[in-house]
Amino acid sequence: MATAIGRQRSGLAEALRAAREAAADGRGIWSWLATVDHKRIGTLYGFTALFFFVLGGIEALLIRIQLARPESTILNADQYNRIFTMHGTTMVFLVVMPLSAAFFNLLVPLMIGARDVAFPRLNAFSYWTFLAGGLFLNASFFTGGNIFHGDLGAPDTGWFGYSTLTSTKFSHGHGVDFWVFGLQILGIASLAGGFNFIVTILNMRAPGMSLFRMPLFVWMALVTSFLIVFAMPVIAVALFELMFDRLFGALFFEPAAGGNPLLWQHMFWLFGHPEVYILILPAMGIVSEILPTFSRKPLFGYPFVVFSGVAIGFMSWGVWVHHMYTTGLGTVANAAFGVSTIMIGVPTGVKIFNWMATLWGGAIRLNTPLLFAVGFVGMFTIGGLSGITHSMVPSDYQQQDTYYVVAHFHYVLFGGAVFALFGGAYYWFPKFTGKLMNETLGQINFWTLLLGFNMTFFPMHMSGLLGMPRRIYTYSEGQGWDLWNLMSSVGAFIIAFSVAVFIVNLVLSIMRGQKSGADPWDGRTLEWSLPSPVPHYNFAEIPHVHARDDFWHRKYTEDEAGRPIPVVAGGSDGHEEPDGHGIHLPSPSYFPLLASVGFPVIATGLIYDYALVPVGAALLLVGLYGWAMEPATEEAL
Amino acid sequence: MEQAVVSGHQLETSTGLDNRKLLMWVFLASECLFFGSLIAAYLLYRDRSVQGPYPSDLFDIPFTSVSAFVLLMSSVSMVLALSSIQRGNRRGLQIWLFTTAVLGILFLSGQAYEFTVFHHEGLSLSRNMFGTTFFVLTGFHGAHVTVGVLILLSLFTMTLQGKITQEESLPIELAGLYWHFVDIVWIVIFTLIYLIQP
Amino acid sequence: MRMNRRTLSRLVVAALLLVLLALLLSGCETDTPKNTFAAQGEVARDQRNLFYMAMWPAIVVMAFVELGLVVTLLRFRRRRAEEVPRQVHGNTRLELAWTIAPAIILLILAVPMMSLLFKLGREPHKDDFVVNVTGVQWQWLFEYPDLKGADGSTLKSAPGDPVIFPAGREIRFNVTSMDVIHSFWIPRLGGKLDAVPSRHNRFWLKADQPGTWSGQCAEFCGKDHANMKLVAEALSQADFDAWLKEKQAGVKEFDGAAAAVPTSAP
Repeated sequence: MATAIGRQRSGLAEALRAAREAAADGRGIWSWLATVDHKRIGTLYGFTALFFFVLGGIEALLIRIQLARPESTILNADQYNRIFTMHGTTMVFLVVMPLSAAFFNLLVPLMIGARDVAFPRLNAFSYWTFLAGGLFLNASFFTGGNIFHGDLGAPDTGWFGYSTLTSTKFSHGHGVDFWVFGLQILGIASLAGGFNFIVTILNMRAPGMSLFRMPLFVWMALVTSFLIVFAMPVIAVALFELMFDRLFGALFFEPAAGGNPLLWQHMFWLFGHPEVYILILPAMGIVSEILPTFSRKPLFGYPFVVFSGVAIGFMSWGVWVHHMYTTGLGTVANAAFGVSTIMIGVPTGVKIFNWMATLWGGAIRLNTPLLFAVGFVGMFTIGGLSGITHSMVPSDYQQQDTYYVVAHFHYVLFGGAVFALFGGAYYWFPKFTGKLMNETLGQINFWTLLLGFNMTFFPMHMSGLLGMPRRIYTYSEGQGWDLWNLMSSVGAFIIAFSVAVFIVNLVLSIMRGQKSGADPWDGRTLEWSLPSPVPHYNFAEIPHVHARDDFWHRKYTEDEAGRPIPVVAGGSDGHEEPDGHGIHLPSPSYFPLLASVGFPVIATGLIYDYALVPVGAALLLVGLYGWAMEPATEEAL
Repeated sequence: MEQAVVSGHQLETSTGLDNRKLLMWVFLASECLFFGSLIAAYLLYRDRSVQGPYPSDLFDIPFTSVSAFVLLMSSVSMVLALSSIQRGNRRGLQIWLFTTAVLGILFLSGQAYEFTVFHHEGLSLSRNMFGTTFFVLTGFHGAHVTVGVLILLSLFTMTLQGKITQEESLPIELAGLYWHFVDIVWIVIFTLIYLIQP
Repeated sequence: MRMNRRTLSRLVVAALLLVLLALLLSGCETDTPKNTFAAQGEVARDQRNLFYMAMWPAIVVMAFVELGLVVTLLRFRRRRAEEVPRQVHGNTRLELAWTIAPAIILLILAVPMMSLLFKLGREPHKDDFVVNVTGVQWQWLFEYPDLKGADGSTLKSAPGDPVIFPAGREIRFNVTSMDVIHSFWIPRLGGKLDAVPSRHNRFWLKADQPGTWSGQCAEFCGKDHANMKLVAEALSQADFDAWLKEKQAGVKEFDGAAAAVPTSAP
């Protein structure tokens, strides 16, 4: 069948087949453009997200430079508003979400004993669409005039884009349009990834791996993926409604015609609250893998941690109004959501105790991945506690829209998610490169990040409660905010230093890191049973799983007191490593990349010139058609 | 025990469901949130139009009932298409697939007609809340039906080329799931928007 | 050797926490213009006290977790490379306890929370002093619907004027916007309320004593959001009557600082 199709579309098909064969060799840039290998896609996600992290970090430094002193004029109001909008949008959509995608890609198939995800080309499509969206969104910087004169075209209505500020009446120029379309494109990427991982996790587990034998990280990936596929459509609709208002004169958010500006907020936060759990659950999953490994004990209360993750997934749909307490929805609404918000603190907080109990009684190795994981627990606790104070509705009337909120979410998203992601990077780096990251640089990275992070964000609790609102490009003297802002700004540069240390460590370790071997940390889960770096086909033989932490149980048995006894040569099967002959793997394909290019072209057309729309649509359709018609695999390797 | 990762020939999955079928179910679940949000916006703004024309001025319930019936019948023909190929009846598959596509096109024609009439009566996206929410909701539904028709016609072409067989009938089943979903969404829209007037 | 290290680390951590606490508390109740803790109104005071009710247990939990982590890391450090501890999988009773206990504590906190919520959300009283607040990019406009000016129309402020009301009385604010969403906020008198176009939100505040306070828009509303400030002045009844008489006599120059009252600098 494959050759029949080939003959029908001769010239072009031949060229494409030749390119595909080159790509299948796995060498050169073309192989990366056509890759459908989850490990490569994860790597692409990781490095791209790191790039955007630096970009978002520069935006943060600009913010902090401007706010270091009162009545500063380093940035004017217009520039500041665009930069803080891009900082937030970048960190949420272009850094934390893709980094989670990176970890899902790299690890989920390995942890469940699979050779790839369920839909490898859909996986590639997710990545290229993400890249397209991220580049498209940032292209907006250049559309405001002369960027070197400080005229920025980026969106300036906040990462949350409240109406009616986002209407064409109050937001001139195209910044908001870039934001709307950029997020739509990114949403498609996330949805595709969500679908892929749900099917992968539910359908492709190795024989014997029941749901309750899955690593906790995989559970969190599953819950996160369900949240993505249910939450992204809501913001997609909200963005469509805003787009129709701006482009075609619709009235969704037009008060004079009967529209309700609060509808935007309801829809945004109905998406937005599950979104914050999308941001944190993968990090919780990472921490739930690192702590047991470095304590050499299983996760304390695995079923409880699973249930609380699932509970959070369900409950996250019932709390969105807590972002809207001051919008005047009325006492009853505020009361109901106040109670639901208080309750969601329970499954979130319970995990803290489970993690502490995992460490307690262990044999803890205090190196970099462990430190980041413990840092997560410590910092996330603080963020969670300030969240509890937010749930006290009447006192939230004071805290809402102040720097107290900024402190809260940075503690959970930076001290929480980002710390965990750093920890995961150090932890799993050896698995994919065969080398260890430098431990000394890692320690410097961690301690300076801990210091810089707290110095930046802890004072914001104070400035917030002292009345400093959010999203202000400057503030007057004499408010009592000066010292706190200065501390935050100094701390931000310490963070920058720490991130630089990480990047240096990353590069040096890739180039000449110490060899790690397959299982440098005495790990518990299946990925550590594979060589480092992982072969193209992952598992030469799909394992049969007999227990949770199956790999650990191959290495250790237990005596009656529960003390582990190492099994001689338990880490290997004893017989020769079979190689990957005869394994069918999905073929590389350019079509996902082609299809994803269509989106930014369509978006550009809708903003500037409708003639581009059919061009983009054609790219998309040709890409999709080619993808649908080509066979998923060629003959065996 | 090796597991082929080729999605078309997935033999063993942990749930027993083919990967692509599971994907379609999850996708349709996600689409429920999509249409749910649009329907919610319509219902929220139902009585908020500051000026006419209003639904009661424009709705032709008999007409829309007929087009809804047409779409409903297209689901029946879709079922017949699938059961044909599952019993090895390739001719039946062709007939019923084509019928489904034709009925879908008929439905879309009815929608286009309705849109045109409403537009002549003064309704537009920027006229009032009814225009905004109605056109966007039914427009997105119509877009979904259009995509469905295109998929059906592609499958029809593939059946003419002999590529759909009794053993390899999953594409028909998946198209059927999608088509039935789009039909159910229309039942909901028809009921909530056309039939139940406040 | 182990004993000394543990004690030392505990001392270090305790010292850090004390510094933290000192920092925290140093912010409380200082006389800065927008300090939500330096409450000078009933609403701000109630909100602050509710916050303390949550804050102190939160600090205790924080101390327990941070200290607990440090102690655990030091006590259970791996001392020999081959050391592998007992594999403890969980303790259902313990886990249930630490799920139920926080839930109960939180539900207890919910009681004063609900009580204050309903108090703040109460229906307007007949003898409330009413002020209509309208936000418009980037200033605040005030109207006094119960007061008539010289020409018989309701009293309005000029852009940039402070909002004026009697001290010691409950002030009912009706808040809306003419363009985008703003938020009306006088931190030392109480929490904020959003000004949403086409919506009429309302809440009440009360100044204990005559005074002047500053406020600021607290919902991002575009370019000059940072400069959308406001001044609130509560006058003694005598001063308020005098002010009203001046306004009704049609004094063109609206000078809210006519009465000499102690001010907190805006």
